[in-house]
Amino acid sequence: MALTTALMTALAPHGQKLREDEALVLVTTSDSGQHITALNRAAEQLGFLPGMALADARAIHPTLKVGHADLAGDHRSLVRLALWCQCYSPFTRVDAPDGVSLDITGCAHLFGGEAGLLDMLAERLGGFGLTARLAIAPTIGAAWGLARHAASPRLAVARQDLRACLAPLPIAALCLDATTLSALEKLGLKRIGDLLDKPRAPLAARFGPFVLRRLDEALGHEEASFGPLSPPVLHSATCRFAEPIVTREAIEVAIDRLTRDLAIDLEHAAKGARRVELRLFRVDGWFEALPLATSTATRDPRHLARLLGERLDRIEDHAGFGFEAASLSALQVEELAGRQQDLGDEALAGARGDIAPLLDRLVNRFGARHVTRPQPYASYIPERAARAASVLKSMRSHDWRAHARVVQDGAPFARPLFLFAVPEPVTTLAEVPDGPPTRFEWRRVAHRVARAEGPERIAPEWWLAPAGASRKTRDYYRIEDEAGRRFWLFRDGLYERGEDVPRWFIHGVFA
Amino acid sequence: MSHAFDIEILRRRIAAQERLTPIKRPAVALGPAALDAALPEHGLATGALHELVPATHGDFAAGIGFGFCLLARIARSRPGQILWAAPAHLGFREGGLYPLGLAALGFDPDRLIQIAARKSIDILWALEEGLAHAPLAAVVGVLPENAHDYDFSASRRLAMRAARQGVTAFIFRGRENPGMSTAAETRWSVASLPSLPAPVPAMGARPGLGFGLGAPRWQVKLTKCKKGTPGGWLSNQPDGWDVEWDHETLSFRLPAPLADRAPAWAHGADNRPDDRPGTSWAEAS
Repeated sequence: MALTTALMTALAPHGQKLREDEALVLVTTSDSGQHITALNRAAEQLGFLPGMALADARAIHPTLKVGHADLAGDHRSLVRLALWCQCYSPFTRVDAPDGVSLDITGCAHLFGGEAGLLDMLAERLGGFGLTARLAIAPTIGAAWGLARHAASPRLAVARQDLRACLAPLPIAALCLDATTLSALEKLGLKRIGDLLDKPRAPLAARFGPFVLRRLDEALGHEEASFGPLSPPVLHSATCRFAEPIVTREAIEVAIDRLTRDLAIDLEHAAKGARRVELRLFRVDGWFEALPLATSTATRDPRHLARLLGERLDRIEDHAGFGFEAASLSALQVEELAGRQQDLGDEALAGARGDIAPLLDRLVNRFGARHVTRPQPYASYIPERAARAASVLKSMRSHDWRAHARVVQDGAPFARPLFLFAVPEPVTTLAEVPDGPPTRFEWRRVAHRVARAEGPERIAPEWWLAPAGASRKTRDYYRIEDEAGRRFWLFRDGLYERGEDVPRWFIHGVFA
Repeated sequence: MSHAFDIEILRRRIAAQERLTPIKRPAVALGPAALDAALPEHGLATGALHELVPATHGDFAAGIGFGFCLLARIARSRPGQILWAAPAHLGFREGGLYPLGLAALGFDPDRLIQIAARKSIDILWALEEGLAHAPLAAVVGVLPENAHDYDFSASRRLAMRAARQGVTAFIFRGRENPGMSTAAETRWSVASLPSLPAPVPAMGARPGLGFGLGAPRWQVKLTKCKKGTPGGWLSNQPDGWDVEWDHETLSFRLPAPLADRAPAWAHGADNRPDDRPGTSWAEAS
């Protein structure tokens, strides 16, 4: 069962208020001049058609209002609309350039049957200021054609009437390309009905397989695939409100209900959610999404509700005229075996040594990139030897002692407590060119060297050669100044190689 | 009825009023007897709030280093992760915390969870959240110098939460503010000290520059001790302690005063210059 909406947007350029009887066309510019791509009802009544040259139109009607079509903007609004339509069905898609399709299999009864759904959708789209043509048909192809070419702007077709309804439609309703269409029309095959009883083999031989395939898809003899805008969600919960809700308290009540429903759903499937998304559908055709990631699979409704509740501040400001529906979907799930229910106290969960709820709350507040654990990386270059990995990625344990032994190649030199991501240049004074400095200046403070240790020579990883990285050998020194502060300095390059005079950098500070 | 019994009853009543659990938590001994003796529980109290303050502007790394040594000792006696919350811009000014450097101090980087926060109020929030989770071993917050959010009531909240679950809290403050009082159990001021020469010449040590760097060494002052008896912790440390960290045994030691002088053989036949730490290289050569 598919529902297709063909939209004719009556958008005034730059939000100007337009009178009903004022003709407006939107044009695109191409090599062959400016052509009309969209027009309003008043322009239609003057006899203009899409595809007409603007010069011709101006010749007929000199006072015609003209605006430039924003095709990318149109597509964005179509995507928005298709996403908003997900409050009627989880499977929606954009039919470029002017339509949206919904797979409403098993959904219509929630909205008062097919007729009820049509009425509801027509009213809502009309409320958004859109002129919409709606069609419900047993196949996507049929719905596509009926929405665009049927006489009635709003109809639902049952399977037994499908053939009869399609027959009077022009062949353009089969969604064919322009050359095939004109070839068919030249032969006098103007309606779908003309094709229905023709022998199939000559048609296929003459026009290729597509004509018959489109026909079969429209009639339901062949399966057509429906590529939805968002991937199918297996576990989700939805609720609709009698009146639009605006307040935080009302949203929290809805979240409570949704998380409980989702938890039951997940429990039946023995799954736990890693990523969930709350969507609050606004009455004016848009929704607010609140994505959430957890560090371990969970289906605890109280935990999820708390995480979502903490992020409602932003949502509340965007409520507009209110939310009419909400859905909570588990976008990514993992196996989670059933567990005996504990007494529900968070402290008790804590006693089990489970810090996942804490990590989730931290990630929820600071963002996944800002809550990290150090992760070793096999590289001799100090700044590459350790990385920060999000706690959502992995909680595996690492043997840092072994890692230190490997990347330091057994050298007994310690590593600094603080490392600069980008080494900072220092000016130095050294006794001998290839020795440690006797004094250096860093951030406008002069340090006299009391002790030095080194060099620890670290050669570049020539086999990796990252773009723009320094390819020089570094000689690292541990330096202690007279106040007892300890620094990690290196000389970038070697003297004897005949390169430029090597520069000194500070790379870290010891405890 | 003995005095001790009365005092115990009073303690319990106060604990109930302060909503603290009267459970005695073992303190973590620091190692040297002189240090532990200054602390009322003969060690660093767990489940309490401690503050660390660098003595001067340049001693930030020293203060953090000393803090991680304390953490390494706590981590040895209590399992669990350690939550570190610091301003996101810290990495540009002081550098980022380097896991291999932590490992070199004897602290296992695997137990660290780092949070980069934008505001100090977020850091305090993260610490409070962490303190409510018993599986953590400790929480650490680095506050910028001008953090006005950290006042007496904020520190009191942290201290009470720490006491409830037994998670120890550390706060690094930019600078000591003498006018401000907090609910911290102890406050330490840390300054860098020149390290003592390594007993064995380190690989690559320059003859003119001593024998390389020894173990990290700091001058540590206990500037506040809430439950300390008068005369107990103040009189014990006229000038603070010079502590040295041993990353192998994970313990502090107070180097013998004698060790502060140049070894006798330095004046021996090879006319090695004086190795006293404080002597500049220029003077020594």
